[in-house]
Amino acid sequence: MDTMRVLALVLFAIPLLAQHGRYLSDSKNAAIGDPQAIAAGTKLFMGSCAGCHGPDGGGGARGPNLVRRSLWHPLSDDAIFSVIRNGVADMPPTKLSDEQTWSLVAFIHALTGPASTNPVPGDPTAGKAIYWGAKAGCSNCHAVRGQGGSMGPDLSNIGGSRPLAVIREAIVEPAKDLYYLGNEAATVELKNGQTLQGVAKNRSNYSLQLIDTKGTLHLIEMRNVKKLTVSDTTPMPTDFAKRLSRAELRDLLAYLAQQDVRSKESAQ
Amino acid sequence: MIRIATLSLLLIGSALAQVRHEDIAQGAGQNWLTYAGTYSGWRYSPLNQINAENTRNVVPKWVYHVPGARGLQSSPIVYQGVLYVTAPNSVYALDGRSGRLIWRYADPRAKSQGPNRGAAIWGDKIYFTTTDNYLVALNRHTGALIFNKQYADVAKGTTSTSAPVIAKGKVIVGSSGGDSGMRGFLMALSADTGEELWKTYTIPAKGEKGSETWGDLIDWGGGATWLSGTYDPALNTLYWTTGNPWPDYNGSVRPGDNLYSCSLLALDLDTGKMKWYFQFTPHDTHDWDAQSWPVLVDTEIAGKPRKIVLHANRNGFFYALDRVTGEFLRATQLIDKVTWAKGIDAKGRPMELPNIEPNAEGNWICPSVKGATNWMGQSYNPGTGLLYVLTLEQCGMFYRSAQQPQPMKNFSGGGATEEGGQVILRALDPKTGKRAWEYPMTGLGRMWTGTVSTAGGVIFSGDDDGNLLALNAKNGKHLWHFNVGEMLTASPITYSIDGKQYVAIASASAVFAFGLFEPAVPIEQPVIEIKKK
Ligand code: HEC
Ligand code: HEC
Repeated sequence: MDTMRVLALVLFAIPLLAQHGRYLSDSKNAAIGDPQAIAAGTKLFMGSCAGCHGPDGGGGARGPNLVRRSLWHPLSDDAIFSVIRNGVADMPPTKLSDEQTWSLVAFIHALTGPASTNPVPGDPTAGKAIYWGAKAGCSNCHAVRGQGGSMGPDLSNIGGSRPLAVIREAIVEPAKDLYYLGNEAATVELKNGQTLQGVAKNRSNYSLQLIDTKGTLHLIEMRNVKKLTVSDTTPMPTDFAKRLSRAELRDLLAYLAQQDVRSKESAQ
Repeated sequence: MIRIATLSLLLIGSALAQVRHEDIAQGAGQNWLTYAGTYSGWRYSPLNQINAENTRNVVPKWVYHVPGARGLQSSPIVYQGVLYVTAPNSVYALDGRSGRLIWRYADPRAKSQGPNRGAAIWGDKIYFTTTDNYLVALNRHTGALIFNKQYADVAKGTTSTSAPVIAKGKVIVGSSGGDSGMRGFLMALSADTGEELWKTYTIPAKGEKGSETWGDLIDWGGGATWLSGTYDPALNTLYWTTGNPWPDYNGSVRPGDNLYSCSLLALDLDTGKMKWYFQFTPHDTHDWDAQSWPVLVDTEIAGKPRKIVLHANRNGFFYALDRVTGEFLRATQLIDKVTWAKGIDAKGRPMELPNIEPNAEGNWICPSVKGATNWMGQSYNPGTGLLYVLTLEQCGMFYRSAQQPQPMKNFSGGGATEEGGQVILRALDPKTGKRAWEYPMTGLGRMWTGTVSTAGGVIFSGDDDGNLLALNAKNGKHLWHFNVGEMLTASPITYSIDGKQYVAIASASAVFAFGLFEPAVPIEQPVIEIKKK
């Protein structure tokens, strides 16, 4: 087992965790999701925070990557407010006004909160065409509201459950440890001569749960397996950063950001 | 080439596997396809690999800890070896042989809280409802969302807790929230799209027939339908129970019988039209919802074959009605101590004793607010001809508040407390209503575990100390028990895969599966090749 695989298995639980908690306790402060407040927050962040957390919150020598951290340590808006006001561990307290602090919270929310709750640039209609079109071929592997393939995770709620930065990484750098979800491309040769091909949703030394290329689930006992072939990296294509133009990627993200099981507009 | 041919054959086979009406109507077997196992509410399985002789060899097979779960109430659905278990606003698909997670669907943003009692299956989809009244349909293989549809509004006091029941492509969903004021209803939604097909209110609108049994608060009358009901395919009739009238403990503001609260409703599956109703507790003031199972049995009553519906009621009595006409046939005492009525008269109406109303100082009444039984699953076993019901011998204080009732403010017009109490599993004879045997249990007198019984002559149930236990279905003698180490708040089921029978139950925070002991066989690892991309 190489290190990446070990990491991947350990990280398998993270996306599940990240869906918990955060949205239940979110504040109703008007700054959240407000483009003006987010813009003001971005400025403040560049001035007071980027030195430690990096210009895009992606982490620096003295402060953690805030997107990555939010996956294992999701914070409510109120908790972010008090972190900014009071500091935490090596992070110093601030003397910003309530309004400034809330605009910073709005920025962090936009960075780490679900994409559907934040303003997102791009044209979702154009993005829809890219998603369902042949060039990107996303729908061959991913379903949205019952349409599409099943080799990759369902994307019906991708905008309602993931920050934009995470969706972007999942598309442009899918093999990066953090966003590798643990789905393994697998070919299974059974002792009875059958061969099954698909994605292993879960496997141990004793059993294997496989979705085949037609989307049918197979419960397999490892005692019945002659040979199992798995890929060392994610089944998600790794060349979308090259295959799609910047504008295409932006529009695609705008479409994905709308996919939210709790918004009527997301019905495709 | 040959390999590819077998592969595609196999795939066609499984792709065609769709759960149809006939499959559910057939009742439990290898699969467990509806909340109560059968449409008739039996929680009975013809599986007999585990039987009264070998139950002593039952051992745990696997445990799945549901992340963050507390007080799970879910009864699993099983299809082709996969268990579908719900927690509030989430569904878990587990491999029935190993307990490994296959997929999980979660909707943590639901606007309400509360338990969830289970999922339903139809075609290739798994269905459940969120606490805030969305029907969610998922691909059973992958957990991918097919559609979701909001069918009721939390802002009107309605939430959802029960497992949907699906019959002939209609998803029947109920309503919860009757203790804070709301208007109860039952709805049928299309299994293909989630569209509303019909909606039947359990409380009449002002001016409608039955509204004369209320005062001004009728718009918030309650009558929630928070437990799944049963269905008779031959009569095409749904049997559904309704909850308390609101405000629960203050009856002075709602003079009259308060139809159709605390009742059993017989509704036409196709239209939702009421065929008949029977009210167990007219003008209830003790929160004795009629929520417990309407169990459908064909038997002889006084020498005549009859299609009946049995109902062990929270109010302390055990009823038998003709399920074609709703005619009252008989009521016997379900528990020993009932202090609010001296019996049920020939028409089925309780003969109330004086001074039974809740008051400011508290009125001591038996049964307690929990009732003589509750929503936990009962089991009817055609082999023994007995109905197994978890009962509670308990009394409690009932208080009434003089405050002006306010709907949707968590106001119930008073309160209740309960003390001590003993849980007793009772075997009842549907022909006579009499007890065949009983099994008293230890514990705090909470009573939240249901039953399942099998052709193997075994009943699985649980006690208040966290023991899953097996009794001989004929005589109630103890066969086996296992301490799950925490409270049990759900009902067990049984299923089989690869010719092996399992018994599964959700405890407060985990799903346990049991089966017969088998010596371990060392597993040789297959060749595993890791391919570089
Ligand atoms: C001196 C460096 C430094 C500066 C400046 C700084 N931070 Fe931090 N920040 C940290 C460190 C270090 C942590 C991690 C603390 C820990 O490990 O608990 C952190 C954590 C956080 C967290 C996550 C807290 C949690 O519990 O998950 C947030 C949100 C955050 N910082 C926001 C900000 C914002 C907004 C600013 C600008 C006002 C800012 N930080 C300025 C160093 C800094
Ligand atoms: C060959 C099949 C395939 C194609 C084509 C494909 N994906 Fe994926 N995708 C996957 C798989 C498999 C995963 C899960 C990756 C893992 O477990 O590491 C995934 C993961 C993702 C995720 C992360 C999901 C989550 O829950 O966080 C996103 C977002 C995503 N893909 C979007 C896309 C988009 C957009 C396209 C088209 C541009 C696309 N994918 C094309 C197979 C595919």
